Amino acid sequence: MLHTAAGLTGIFVLCACASTPPAPNANLQEARHAIGAAEQAEAGRYAPNELRAARANLAAADAAVRAQNMATAQRLADESTADAELATARTADVMANSVNSEMKRSTATLTNEMRRSSGDPQ
Amino acid sequence: MNTAMKFKSFGTGLAAAAVASVLAACASTSVRPAGAIDARARLTRLQSDPALASRAPLAMQTADAAVRVAERPEADPDLEAHRVYMADRKIDIARAQAETRLAEDQRPELRAQSEKARLDARTRELDLAQSQTSLAKAEGAEQAADLQRQIDLAQARVAGSNLIVTLGNSLFSGDGTVLEDSSSGDLNRLAAVLDRYPDRTASIKGYTDDTGTEHGNQARSQRSADSVMAYLIAQGIAPDRLTASGMGDSSPVATNDSAFGRQQNRRVEVTIHTPESVER
Repeated sequence: MLHTAAGLTGIFVLCACASTPPAPNANLQEARHAIGAAEQAEAGRYAPNELRAARANLAAADAAVRAQNMATAQRLADESTADAELATARTADVMANSVNSEMKRSTATLTNEMRRSSGDPQ
Repeated sequence: MNTAMKFKSFGTGLAAAAVASVLAACASTSVRPAGAIDARARLTRLQSDPALASRAPLAMQTADAAVRVAERPEADPDLEAHRVYMADRKIDIARAQAETRLAEDQRPELRAQSEKARLDARTRELDLAQSQTSLAKAEGAEQAADLQRQIDLAQARVAGSNLIVTLGNSLFSGDGTVLEDSSSGDLNRLAAVLDRYPDRTASIKGYTDDTGTEHGNQARSQRSADSVMAYLIAQGIAPDRLTASGMGDSSPVATNDSAFGRQQNRRVEVTIHTPESVER
């Protein structure tokens, strides 16, 4: 009986290996969507490395689908999504901080100018 | 004999399993758990940063969950590497979001500093300014005419005593998030007007069409308003004269049912406020 069970399991495993699982279309779609959002947020300018990684992982995921390696494809698609989401988050980070830097710079310029003009005998 | 053989093979199997598990342990100690340990350390550092810890709670939770998954022992090295990769990314996302939020939370303080510096400068230059008052009065009529000319140049309309300049969708990339290089024409005119009339303040409001989520639209509209503000500050406009807010898809000026309408709705409106002294 144990043997039968083992045999059945073996067959089951073999079946699972033989039949190709479906392509992870939802994951691929999510990655494409995340990359699109990152592109629109100008991540190409502010987080180019992350965006490049997202595109590379998506391309690798598509290649894995063609090679019928669906588990790998799904992981690569998920990694691509995470890359793209990071690209978007870093872009927002850079932009929010650039506003702050401009504010600081402007205040510093004003303070310096004032110091200089008050030092001048008028 | 049968039993003995079974026992022997069982023993061999056990030994093999032991070897395998030792090997696996070695392999995982030398590579992946190190990744998970490293991820955990980075997350802990983020969570114990008082300035960032509470600023992106949702992303922190996601990162924490991803690290816990990565810490789980896993026989498949590829899967383990994948989980560490995901954990690393989620931590970085949480950090970036928290830093963004921190920057936004620092704005009121920066604005106050800027205001104070300007006030100080004004106080010190009061004498000089007074001596130039007559000159300024002479310029008054010219100012009005100049503003009127700006109305013709940019997409502008008069609302009460204020002037509202609409920066169209074409000035922004994609769905209206960031300024393109080609945008500087209209924006430079706007900067010139603000530079010329230092007593005027401007509120910058970003708007989107109704495509996408409310939260996403709000964030996007804030980003476009912020980018206009950053541009104007870079052109020398004092930050305390400017405010930037994202209005999301709340106030469409055209229908969202057509591409043209949506394009009209994706915009930034800059209201140039006329101070009371000029109004009179």
